[in-house]
Amino acid sequence: MNINGKFEDQHTYDAIVIGSGMTGGIAAKELTEKGLKVLMIERGKEVEHVKDYDTAFKAPWEIQHRDKISVHSAEELWANNRFIGMAQDDKAQFMTNDKQNPYIEKKPFDWIRAYHTGGKSMHWGRHSYRWNKQDFEANAKDGIGVDWPIRYEDIAPWYSHVEKFVGVNGQKNNLDVLPDGDFLPPMLMLEPERFFVDKIQRTLNRPVVIGRTANLSKAQPWHTALGRATCQYRNKCSRGCPYGAYYSSLSGAIPAAKLTKRLSILHDSIVTEIIYNEAGGKAKGVRTINQHTLQTTEYFAKIIFVNAGSMNSAALLLNSTSKRFPNGLGNDSDQVGRNIMDHHLGVGANATIEGFEDDFMYGQRPNSLYIPRFRNWGADKQNNYIRGFGYQGGASRADWKRGIAADGFGAAFKQEMTKVGSWNIGFGGFGEVLPNPNNRMFLDPIKKDKWGIPQIVFDASFGDNEIAMRKDMANAAAEMLDAAGFKNITKNNRQDVHLGLGIHEMGTARMGRDPKTSVLNKFNQVHDCRNVFVTDGAAMASSSCVNPSLTYMALTARAANHAVEELKKRSI
Amino acid sequence: MPINKKSRKMERREVIKNIALMLGGSISLPTLMAMKLHESGFSNMFDFTLSALQRKILAEVAEVIIPRTDTPGAIDAGVPAFIEMMLKDCYKLPEHQSFIEGLDALHSKDFLNKNMADKISILTAVEQENKTLMQAYNVQQTKMGDNEDKELMTSQKKGLPFWRLMKELTLLGYFTSKVGLNASFDFVLVPGRFELIKLKPGQKVFAY
Repeated sequence: MNINGKFEDQHTYDAIVIGSGMTGGIAAKELTEKGLKVLMIERGKEVEHVKDYDTAFKAPWEIQHRDKISVHSAEELWANNRFIGMAQDDKAQFMTNDKQNPYIEKKPFDWIRAYHTGGKSMHWGRHSYRWNKQDFEANAKDGIGVDWPIRYEDIAPWYSHVEKFVGVNGQKNNLDVLPDGDFLPPMLMLEPERFFVDKIQRTLNRPVVIGRTANLSKAQPWHTALGRATCQYRNKCSRGCPYGAYYSSLSGAIPAAKLTKRLSILHDSIVTEIIYNEAGGKAKGVRTINQHTLQTTEYFAKIIFVNAGSMNSAALLLNSTSKRFPNGLGNDSDQVGRNIMDHHLGVGANATIEGFEDDFMYGQRPNSLYIPRFRNWGADKQNNYIRGFGYQGGASRADWKRGIAADGFGAAFKQEMTKVGSWNIGFGGFGEVLPNPNNRMFLDPIKKDKWGIPQIVFDASFGDNEIAMRKDMANAAAEMLDAAGFKNITKNNRQDVHLGLGIHEMGTARMGRDPKTSVLNKFNQVHDCRNVFVTDGAAMASSSCVNPSLTYMALTARAANHAVEELKKRSI
Repeated sequence: MPINKKSRKMERREVIKNIALMLGGSISLPTLMAMKLHESGFSNMFDFTLSALQRKILAEVAEVIIPRTDTPGAIDAGVPAFIEMMLKDCYKLPEHQSFIEGLDALHSKDFLNKNMADKISILTAVEQENKTLMQAYNVQQTKMGDNEDKELMTSQKKGLPFWRLMKELTLLGYFTSKVGLNASFDFVLVPGRFELIKLKPGQKVFAY
């Protein structure tokens, strides 16, 4: 008894945060800054910011296979390799070995994972857009899924809070469809892009804006205090930034939480279940298993933040069974694991631009243009699908790679390839995916991984709305390129895209007003187990079409604030 | 004119075997083994190697594509070894086969002993044949979000044609090598800023 008591003391914290990625980082930062002693548990290996970015300064010739993927890497990272570049030499070491971390595809699901400190926040696309007012009202209006229990006004101050902390560059455009935020100076548009923006505004009355990304266009004092510096325009973000110029959990939230001296981080430890205290009606802690030693340990806390990544967060709830929750923690509604959403992509159009021969740029911009949603918005009404999509893309100048498919070789050809080619422009869409309870993941009743944890089975696919939208996404992109007068327009619509490839997988523990139809309340608390908060993408009740990380982080900061208020009131 | 698949395969196999005999066995045993493995379905068990003669042809073709001029050429930049390494590491049996077939076809034309004008006309013909082959691959450049492009092509039973592999890997190997990149471009490791500029006549292009 005595030994047990001492053990519990040593393993007891105010809060446990499961996961160190995009939202786990923010949860740890907010909770420690508000005075809580926090244990962050990361299932993967430790990556030390800057020190472990081995490939960051490598020249092209120092990357053995350049941008090609070795057969070995493609086999080990079979799921990651479905996304461009994830299995390349310069970043494969940070992506999860899919062979060793298997999952089951009843239907194909492109699950891109990065099990290490910082998770996918090290690899994200960094585009950061606020949801608009209608995004939060759309489910209620369309009678789809469940209504969000919050509105834009509830989250707006938290958007500001997060934008300032992470540092988002952007232009205030005063658009209802894409609300402005607290921005650092915007990045530059290229000359042909300015031409395009102007032309589309005049011909189609459609706004095209410079992308808003979490790269420090001008580091502020609170950024430099954490060791972050202004962007150096290398556009090699995906290798990890030695300047901390783009936001990741590694460059921002974890250093901020460490400054409080109230953060402990545990690596290589997979949380296998959340321990529910039947008598108290609350969760009391978590059980972990060490990746390497397979040793199991328990940790205890007053509150638990689940930030394992949408699919793993839901799997953890499903695997946490008790007398009170026989179907998984918080799964009274049977909605845990259902309503998988993502953004469907790999569809758009490209063209070539004549002229602008002398225009060039120094440096590489880690950003693009953004074309906010214009479908089913304002006066536009589509007949065969609801909701909409946004595009990312922009102009670039052809380099020596144009020679691969072109005719010719020899001295003159070699000389020609050292010069810049013509301008190209292209856009790819990000489409909203509707929540559908039949799109789900669940735990396999028999198959387990090597740590004894049930494997995840995916049984989800695009519906008619997504498929109809994709056709329009290719057509509308081509129309805009044509309206701008560009040439050689080619549409594309990848057919090998499944849910997951957008790496915006979400929705598996949705927020809602009614415990009968949702998993979380308006502060991301599990209904009927209110000291457990799920604040990653699992919480989403709909998907909008904008990149989601900013919204996840804002929801997390808001939930952390609520958690601390409730703790002070002793109501959880 | 549809050709029976099996007979075409047999035909190819016979041709390679005959060439091997002709060369006194210089077509490697692995090539023949690979064909057998491929036919029996073990497509990943092939350890790709080239014979000394095949290496010579490969180096010569690379040098014709990117010759030494007032700047270094493909051989100076180590491109031949790069290509062999890349084929071994990043491609599977179908590409290994089509690559070796391409080298052997050049050998059957006595490529190495031709003068430069003849070498150029042989490779020009190969390039034109390649175009037809590539049409079957339906190559498409697809724009993803976040400024990412992906080249998609229909997967084929037969590997990418020899010329496509040869040319792509020569250009990749040369323009990303230390020697080739620095001779061709202005290498900037840390730009430090992003600026719109006007290209001056004769100005080198930046590489990052």
